[in-house]
Amino acid sequence: MEAKEDYPEILTIPVKEIGSEPVAHWRVMKPVIKYDLCRKCWVCVHFCPEGVISESEEGPVIDYRFCKGCGVCANECPAKAIEMVREV
Amino acid sequence: MGRLDLLSGNRAVAYGAKLSRVQVVSAYPITPQTPIVEYLADFIARGELDAEYIHPEGEHSAIAAAVAAAVAGARAFTATCSQGLGYGFEVIAQAPAYRAPLVMAVANRTLGWYWSVAADYSDSMTTRDLGWIQLYVESCQECLDGVIQLYKIIEDERVLLPGMICLDGFHLSHSSEPVDIPDQREVDDYLPPRKLYRHTTDPTESEGYVFPVIPTRLHTTYRRLFEGVMQRAKEVIREATREFSERFGRGAYGLLEEYRTDGAEALLVTMGSMSTAARRAVDRLRNRGVRVGLLRVRFFRPFPSEELTKIVEKGGIRAVGIVDRAVSHGTSMGPLGTEVASVLYAMKDRPNIVNFIAGMGGDDVSVSDFEGMVSKLMNTLNKDGVRETVFIEHRVPLAKPSVTFKDVTYCPGSQLCSGCGAALAVRHVLRILGKNSVIVFPPNCVSAAVAMHFPSNWVGVPCVLANYAAAAAYARGLQRAYKYRGKKVYVTVIAGDGCTADIGLQSLSSAAECGEPIIWINYDNEAYMNTGIQRSGTTPAKAWTTTTPVGPRWRGKKELPKDMVSVMIAHKVPYIATASPAFLRDFEVKLRKAMEVVEKGEGLAYIHVQTPCPTGWRFHESKTVEVARLAVLTGMWPLIEVDHGVFRLTVKLPKLRPVAEYIRLQGRFRHLSDEDVAEIQELTNKNWKKLLDLDGKPLW
Repeated sequence: MEAKEDYPEILTIPVKEIGSEPVAHWRVMKPVIKYDLCRKCWVCVHFCPEGVISESEEGPVIDYRFCKGCGVCANECPAKAIEMVREV
Repeated sequence: MGRLDLLSGNRAVAYGAKLSRVQVVSAYPITPQTPIVEYLADFIARGELDAEYIHPEGEHSAIAAAVAAAVAGARAFTATCSQGLGYGFEVIAQAPAYRAPLVMAVANRTLGWYWSVAADYSDSMTTRDLGWIQLYVESCQECLDGVIQLYKIIEDERVLLPGMICLDGFHLSHSSEPVDIPDQREVDDYLPPRKLYRHTTDPTESEGYVFPVIPTRLHTTYRRLFEGVMQRAKEVIREATREFSERFGRGAYGLLEEYRTDGAEALLVTMGSMSTAARRAVDRLRNRGVRVGLLRVRFFRPFPSEELTKIVEKGGIRAVGIVDRAVSHGTSMGPLGTEVASVLYAMKDRPNIVNFIAGMGGDDVSVSDFEGMVSKLMNTLNKDGVRETVFIEHRVPLAKPSVTFKDVTYCPGSQLCSGCGAALAVRHVLRILGKNSVIVFPPNCVSAAVAMHFPSNWVGVPCVLANYAAAAAYARGLQRAYKYRGKKVYVTVIAGDGCTADIGLQSLSSAAECGEPIIWINYDNEAYMNTGIQRSGTTPAKAWTTTTPVGPRWRGKKELPKDMVSVMIAHKVPYIATASPAFLRDFEVKLRKAMEVVEKGEGLAYIHVQTPCPTGWRFHESKTVEVARLAVLTGMWPLIEVDHGVFRLTVKLPKLRPVAEYIRLQGRFRHLSDEDVAEIQELTNKNWKKLLDLDGKPLW
């Protein structure tokens, strides 16, 4: 019980640099983008509840570390360019 | 004979209330108590329990309604814990004076300070001096038995006090054990129907009533009289628990429970669920020849001083280890420790005392922890006059997140559900607001997800955790401080519908009327989703929730939702809007207008965004945006704004889609007949027409 204090007395949550643990293990279905069908309308980028899809020249890019696999992107894609593939 | 079933502590409490034939139930959801009142709602919906059910807007009212029901002669029941208990505190303080018996279940959870949803006694201990009978239970069986025992005790004319049954949150509330559920007839034989007393407030038959005010010079006298009642209650508790044990074939129940105290040199004193681990430790140590026994305090109020003295005096006990799941900061002891110490003070040969503080915030106290405590206790046997306090700690490192993001207002990885509509709305709010903002978070799913992110956050601006009913007040204080200090900061409240329309409405109304320049985002998932889908003021009519279940007697929520936009219109705040995560451009324009309004100091800006919840509305997680869009396109969630008094439909539809397209996507409306849907269609059409008439017109 006499261990030295390795806890700060006032706990402060950082604001300049924030962070997360990946949540990929939540996923049952994985969204896969079919770039040949993609029209780069970026609907998926806007509607991803997690904000894990970004724009690139090739088309949208999914950060799979943080994709929970909800499938909103696939459901919203007007070109049907996102396929949900079973992962587990 | 009863029947055996596997019940959680919460379900066992609900069964205890049902078997006690409670007549009025009034409660507000709070983790980990919520399932108690969900089960009771279910019993009523199924027609298994004939009781009135009150859905108040917060704990202050929930407890008040239960007290009043008891005052008016009903067998009343309520349940709460932690922050809810804190919010209802003044009502709890006043309840004993009415001398009206009611039972309140407290699924113990730490109160205030650093938050946790798990157990310690820092909530119920704040009420220890108020004159409630307090029972702390160890098992799920005792949860059920305890409720019935409490009604028997508190309704006895020698007592007539409110009673609290305290069960450790999660350790008991959410753990299942085999429980013997007695027959209704057996319980009826033990517990007679609730009587009316001479002072029951009933203009049709009572002789008088209690008005809890007395002159100053009588206060001390009445405190003495009251203390007499508490002391007298001990005899009633002894009788009622003895009778219960005999009738229902249970082990000895009493003010306290003794375990292997014969020949003990050291004694552990515990309360609640941790006593089971303490019992196992005593067994193990006894097998090794260590002479240790256990006392479990069941009733903390009135305190079993006589029983305790008798056991310690009966011989040989030279060290007492009191295990507290609470701290009385500033005394270096816990409340049970100070109580036991004060009782032992009257003894000639006082034993050594070690007060252990353990299990705070839900931390588990294991058998080996107890073995360690006993070993500490045995080490004092060769010393005299020992009185010390030891904290039983389980240190974990403060881990850094494995993926980090610099200079962002938001990063992914929250614990919000997959497909969460609020996650989508909130990340856009944070993007638009930018770094120069502070978020005030009353309890809701989003702030719970912030809390779970410790020691980092996925929100990249400072967040202030506001007490539920005071979110607007926190925002006002922040805003005024920044104003005084000449800073430009967007103070934004991200509140759910429960905070906005129910518990936090009073505070919001005051801030709105006073023209405080703050942004209020009401992310409306149309029920209390954070505690698990209970009805809120904005839950749509007919919707299933866990407190408006569907059964032979109930068919979802009976009432229409509270029209919060009209409430805000009545406050004449400079900017009011509804929004949808399916119409992001519309949402962004509105939020930017809100920012402009507060930047100019014009007053409060209110944005009410509907955020579909796949978990609570029962639809597939991929349909969140589709459901949100259909809400707008069917006219069930019209997108409007009231900009400085001028009303405008911002998404004007030439033709509404049938409401069935929206409703039939959701499981919460599964029980609706075609007639029900037609009724909703008619209401929607009427409302849409009203909005079309208002379009472009000034409202004030």
